[in-house]
Amino acid sequence: MAAFVIRRLIASVFVLLAATFLMYNLVALSGDPLEDLRASNAPNKEQLIDSLTKRLRLDVIPPLRYFIWLFGDPSQGTAGVLGGNLGLTVQGRSVNVLLEQALGSTLQLVTIATVLAIILGLTVGITTALRQYSGYDYSVTFISFLFFSLPIFWVAVLLKQFVAIGFNDFLEDSPQLPPLFIVMATVLAGLLWASIIPGDIRRKVMTFALAAGATATMLVIMNLIDWFTYPGLSIIGVAIIGICAAVGFTTLITGLKNRKALYASLTVAGLGLALYFPFQYGISYSITEWWMLLALAILAVGVSLGIGWLMGGVDKGPVMRVAAFTGFFTAGAIALDRFMMVWDDYASSGRIRGRPIATIGSSTPNLEGSLWVQGVDIYTHLLLPTLALILISFAGYTRYSRASLLEVMNQDYIRTARAKGLPERTVVVRHAFRNALIPIATIVAFDIGGIVGGAVITERVFGWTGMGALFQNGLDDTDPNPVMAFFLVVGGLAILFNLLADLVYAALDPRIRVN
Amino acid sequence: MRISRFAAATATIAASALVLSACAAPQSEVVEGSSITVAWNQPFYSYNSNTSFGNATANANIVYMTSGAFNYYNNVPELVKDESFGTYELLSEDPLTVKYTVNDDVQWSDGTAVDGADMLLAWAANSGVLNTPEFNPGDFTDPETGLFTDEYPTDVVYFDGAIGAGLQLVTQTPEIDGKSITLVYDEFFVDWELVFGVGLPAHVVAQRALDIENAGEAKTALVEAIQNADAEALAPISSTWNSDWNFTELPAEEDANLLVVNGPYQITGFVADESITLSANPNYRGANLPNIEEITVRFITDPLAAVQALANGEVDIISPQATADVADALAALDGVTVLSGEEAVYEHFDLTFENSKNGTFDNPLLREAFLKTIPRQQIVDTLIKPLNPTAEVRNSQIFIPGAPGYEETVANNGMAEKFGEVDIEGAKALIAEAGVTAPEVCVLFASTNPRRVNEFALIQASATEAGFVVEDCSSPEWGGLLGTPGAYDAVFFGWQSTSLGVTNSSPTFRTGGINNLNYYSNEEVDALLDELDVTLDPARQIEIQIEIDKLLMDDFYGVTIFQFPAVTAFSDRVTNVEPGPLSPTIFWNAWDWEPTEAN
Repeated sequence: MAAFVIRRLIASVFVLLAATFLMYNLVALSGDPLEDLRASNAPNKEQLIDSLTKRLRLDVIPPLRYFIWLFGDPSQGTAGVLGGNLGLTVQGRSVNVLLEQALGSTLQLVTIATVLAIILGLTVGITTALRQYSGYDYSVTFISFLFFSLPIFWVAVLLKQFVAIGFNDFLEDSPQLPPLFIVMATVLAGLLWASIIPGDIRRKVMTFALAAGATATMLVIMNLIDWFTYPGLSIIGVAIIGICAAVGFTTLITGLKNRKALYASLTVAGLGLALYFPFQYGISYSITEWWMLLALAILAVGVSLGIGWLMGGVDKGPVMRVAAFTGFFTAGAIALDRFMMVWDDYASSGRIRGRPIATIGSSTPNLEGSLWVQGVDIYTHLLLPTLALILISFAGYTRYSRASLLEVMNQDYIRTARAKGLPERTVVVRHAFRNALIPIATIVAFDIGGIVGGAVITERVFGWTGMGALFQNGLDDTDPNPVMAFFLVVGGLAILFNLLADLVYAALDPRIRVN
Repeated sequence: MRISRFAAATATIAASALVLSACAAPQSEVVEGSSITVAWNQPFYSYNSNTSFGNATANANIVYMTSGAFNYYNNVPELVKDESFGTYELLSEDPLTVKYTVNDDVQWSDGTAVDGADMLLAWAANSGVLNTPEFNPGDFTDPETGLFTDEYPTDVVYFDGAIGAGLQLVTQTPEIDGKSITLVYDEFFVDWELVFGVGLPAHVVAQRALDIENAGEAKTALVEAIQNADAEALAPISSTWNSDWNFTELPAEEDANLLVVNGPYQITGFVADESITLSANPNYRGANLPNIEEITVRFITDPLAAVQALANGEVDIISPQATADVADALAALDGVTVLSGEEAVYEHFDLTFENSKNGTFDNPLLREAFLKTIPRQQIVDTLIKPLNPTAEVRNSQIFIPGAPGYEETVANNGMAEKFGEVDIEGAKALIAEAGVTAPEVCVLFASTNPRRVNEFALIQASATEAGFVVEDCSSPEWGGLLGTPGAYDAVFFGWQSTSLGVTNSSPTFRTGGINNLNYYSNEEVDALLDELDVTLDPARQIEIQIEIDKLLMDDFYGVTIFQFPAVTAFSDRVTNVEPGPLSPTIFWNAWDWEPTEAN
């Protein structure tokens, strides 16, 4: 094992060295960094050209300059990449500093998108596998292939046009959903649920009617209470979410027959509801830092685990898990409601002027306000780029997880489990789902390695100054140093996570041995 | 909210009208609560745009809006004096002596007066006269940050200013007297008007460099250090001047004195790589009083992203790179004013006089013939007009269209007259007269620039008709090939004008000049350039430049084609945006921008 890791690491170093040499020369030979200055009429042009030539060592040919980049410049006493110095840009800014800022901003952008894409992709993929060849399965297959084939810059521009500019136009004057939209949403929701939930025709019709009715009622109520101007869940919404979470997680994890789990999770949801008013109109005002919110989330999970332990009886583990998930979701719903409470203040503030969904950047300049207002601001800025990234990567995850689960479901041991008379829930969740995740885990590990470098276009279109900007500006200026910084991080991560993926696979699947 | 703000503004204006009615100059008043967001394509990263590190338009724009100046360029373009900041007069032409005086009430935003000490520092920094000779600053550059290290020697003076731009000719330490300074040039320097301004606050530089609390004492120490050329004191002063103003986010509380400025606006917010916010400076006493309380500059690289941000109301003024996509996207927007204009970059086609590849253009007949085939109007019509409907062919090597003298030179130099229209027959006749067949022409241009590739296709088609064999010598490395003997016969690229200074033409057209890349040499032009370099009378300067322009055309030097198109668009929340061609383009009249009812 250790020998394998070391061997792989040593090989990786050489791969990276060769790749950087190639990359450095390709970038350096792609143009002329002095082009702007050569076409300048500035009176001190000669001095400017000299100073830049000296700073970037343009007097040395690229293949040799690569070694200056790598080992440093003895004539100037500077360190190279091996000494931790990534050099200067054409503008004379330190690449180390730029890289630090860029990495932070990119991680902020891609982390949420990746996590959401994985969760959504897995959920949808698994449900489609369980309802193979249903209308739902075909629709998801169609949609995911559609998204998979869309170029992201185009998706981004469309999202900006419709989800930002169009939706903001809708929000600007007393927003009311048009009747046609309500009808279409009602029919779609009905069809979706009818195709997911199994049963004969009579049951399908019932499901359709129920889902359509619920959707229509909700949308009409939203119109009546001006929901788009004053959004919120209110205590009713939180109660619905809490109870649904309690019942849903109990069904999923232990089955509804486990009354202890059901009661424990309902207790947790009830406790959350009891804390609704004290939190919204008291505690939340003293939350001024993000870590406080995080601490509260951890506390909520802790208390839920405690309740699960107390009410768990003999088999405490699953009950505690159900309670913890329910607690997290109920607390999340309360926090979400709190964010929604400041929405109107946010949208109508002088900085936003009624057009909340942003198309560029990561925050509204000079916006002042509580943590809740800042949170809404982050949401409005992250919404579009996150959607764009999710739409593209979601497709892959649904396909992988669907294929993987289908394969597992057709194996002999699943048939054995069913033959034993295990309930379908146990067969799917305990026996099939876990094994289906093994190949997905390696794909996820590999994707995490790729996300830092994978958002170049998204970043540029949405005006984020991250790794993409570092790469692209460097390329535009024929400036190898920032491009190489990007390449080192992205290439390094790719190699590292490739290795990790192999190790994870070996750890998860006892049939595989690395050696 | 809006009504009360409007009412407050009206009340303020009414009240101040009473107070200000005695003043002769037109005054404007900040509209409280008004704000404007401008998109710019590069982040701000240094407040000292005179250093080689901070020399970028993204920095210069912010410095411009937050600084008073003796003069600035308007959108004509012409140099405008700001006498509410200070005045300057030419005391003598031999030796060239100029006295700059700052007005009495001009002060820094912390209340300290702007005076001779600030100007003395500006001279020391931008002349480089006090710099320790033979010192290599690279030895003390921190490899991690690119800035100067702590080991920087304590007695070495190195100001990384705009050295070489003209002030280096003032080698004697200038006399200061209260609010004025007198610069004596060793040699005559015709563009003296363009090279001097106040720059960074001397008291803050000295306070930070010498650890002196009191602003007055700090100033005195700085003045003494410069007057006595005291290397030990000047060393920290120079390193402070070079490095301290390089900030990429809002400086911490203890460094707040870095934000001391003397212009209409001051920096009040700065988020790294996102945006920088300027607010009206309450201590500003000049005539360029701003109307808008707060200007935020957001950094947006992608031109189409800027257009959509404008459509979504996130920014109010944009000036993206003009491309066909941007023009289409802007045309589709409602409630947005789009101004097409020109940048200070112009495309020009030069013939090589000596050391060319084929020697074709050693013969003036062939030079004339080739210029006759260049389809300038067609290039403008097909490539530029879609971006700037009012674009015209530029007909002068020296004058920017619109600048004083342009009309006269166009009437006189013959570029429009002789080469205004493609004349294939005339070119054929000239080639026949020269007695050659199929003369070869190798044209150098940027192969990576699609517009230039299209231009070349048009030129090649036209010249081939007349009998030239036009070879594509384009290269992505075209910049490095400029002036390389034997590499090409003709070249086209853009010259960027940074000022209207008359010394700009000298390096381009003088025999052996640094920008003379086509080995042009004409004794008459050299003599005229010599005269131009010592002529102060603007009327005479224009006359000489017109003469040079004519001589260049008589020698078939080459032709100019077009001014680069620029596009500016702004929302209905602001008016009075009038971009100019020279830096700082859209920002030149930022103080005249007015908020509208919608703001």
